[in-house]
Amino acid sequence: MWQNFAQFWSSGENIAFFILSVVIISGAVLMLSFTKVVHMVTSLAFTFLGLAGLYVLLHAEFVAFVQVLVYAGAVTILMIFGIMLTRHDVDQEETSDRRLHHGLTLLGVLGFFGIMFYAIQQARFPLPDHSATITDNTAAIGERLFQLHVIPFELVSVLLTVAFIGAIIVAKREED
Amino acid sequence: MADLMQQPITWGSVSLMVLSAAVLLLIVLGYVTYAILFERKVIGWIQGRHGPNRLGPFGLLQTVADVIKLLIKEDIVPRNADRALFILAPVIVFVPSFTVLATIPYTRNLPFADLNVGLLYYAAISSISALGMLLGGWASNNKYSLIGGMRSAAQMISYEIPLVISFIGVILMSGSLRLSTIVEEQGPWFWQWNFVPQILGFLVFIVAALAELNRTPFDLPEAESELVAGYFTEYSGFRFAFFMLAEYVYVYAIAALTTILFLGGWHPPFPFLDFIPGIIWFLLKFCLVVFTIFWIRATMPRMRGDHLMSFGWKVLLPLSLINVFITAVVLEILR
Repeated sequence: MWQNFAQFWSSGENIAFFILSVVIISGAVLMLSFTKVVHMVTSLAFTFLGLAGLYVLLHAEFVAFVQVLVYAGAVTILMIFGIMLTRHDVDQEETSDRRLHHGLTLLGVLGFFGIMFYAIQQARFPLPDHSATITDNTAAIGERLFQLHVIPFELVSVLLTVAFIGAIIVAKREED
Repeated sequence: MADLMQQPITWGSVSLMVLSAAVLLLIVLGYVTYAILFERKVIGWIQGRHGPNRLGPFGLLQTVADVIKLLIKEDIVPRNADRALFILAPVIVFVPSFTVLATIPYTRNLPFADLNVGLLYYAAISSISALGMLLGGWASNNKYSLIGGMRSAAQMISYEIPLVISFIGVILMSGSLRLSTIVEEQGPWFWQWNFVPQILGFLVFIVAALAELNRTPFDLPEAESELVAGYFTEYSGFRFAFFMLAEYVYVYAIAALTTILFLGGWHPPFPFLDFIPGIIWFLLKFCLVVFTIFWIRATMPRMRGDHLMSFGWKVLLPLSLINVFITAVVLEILR
């Protein structure tokens, strides 16, 4: 057993995975337990960055850095909304009795853990031959996206444009 | 570097990684020390002054003295500031600024981490700094800081879009996101470098990059005549030094990136000048870009906030899109 342990820690990938999982999980837990919205968003940012790190470990560099690019901007915007739309000068603690609530939460968490544990134990992860895909996954993603899946891609972009124009119209109407 | 991650780690590989990062950090710190002095000298020269000239010959020790002053200053955290975030914010600003340097290739033989998504890596990591500026502004619990932080977030996000789209023209020309390939694809003569065929993209890039750097004429987040010092008003001592350090490291990063993307990296301007090593050419172009950034700072007035936003969204964004469109059409015709 100790040999396995030493072997696990001798690989840089495993150490990186361990650190990144600590960052992701603690970011997510802190996100739920903080009370100020800016603190929450900051811990959320650490979770997103940790996820990007996991993508790097999986040799999906393109996805990883798109994740950072999109979520770093998104988190900043979210924080601006958090600052502008919430009041941060009130500090009130909710002290009502929530024993039943906590009990139900514990039950739900245990159930979820059981299901996940069972599913992970049952799952088989076939190791794909990733010697061919590592070389240039950006080009591979581009070819897949614009040749094989070009119609869904265009539909999604139309959907986003519609949402964008809709948001502008809604904002304009409120301005008048 | 990528192979090192795959191998089982040994003390040798870890110390190699730490050592190369430490050497780069020392080089960057040395650069920042003299870039600040150079900037003050250039601005002094443009304004008909001498600039710093008291400490050491030609004032060469001025920045060293300034840094020592900042380090031994009292470390102040305002009582009503959000202590944890106030301490964290300079770190979040500085760490990405140093991390982006990992992917910059200086010569053919000195590529550091030659990522196959190098350009995307640069754009992604550098956008994290905006978060630190906003956090610093909010955590200071000061209205000037908060306004500065808000402005910097708005500005960084608006100008990041034309910046990244201006990259796309270069990516179309070279067919790769790898920075060393982008340099190799630019020809040996200076008119074959990307700044000639991509002149529109180059102009958009320079303007957007200056805005990303938060430097004059786009230094609204720290506009001293209206916001005291913007998002770092409440900072002093070494935390303040970290914000300044991050700003100058970004100048380094942007100058190196301009050299790589548009000015042919380590290529000499004429093939017959090939006997001079590539690193010299890289450094010459790099210094030229750094000088241009300081020159612009000394000559341009600050823009107004609403002009800044409408300029970014209504002028730079369409121009960068047109550049991508033209590049794609021309490349398709020439193929």
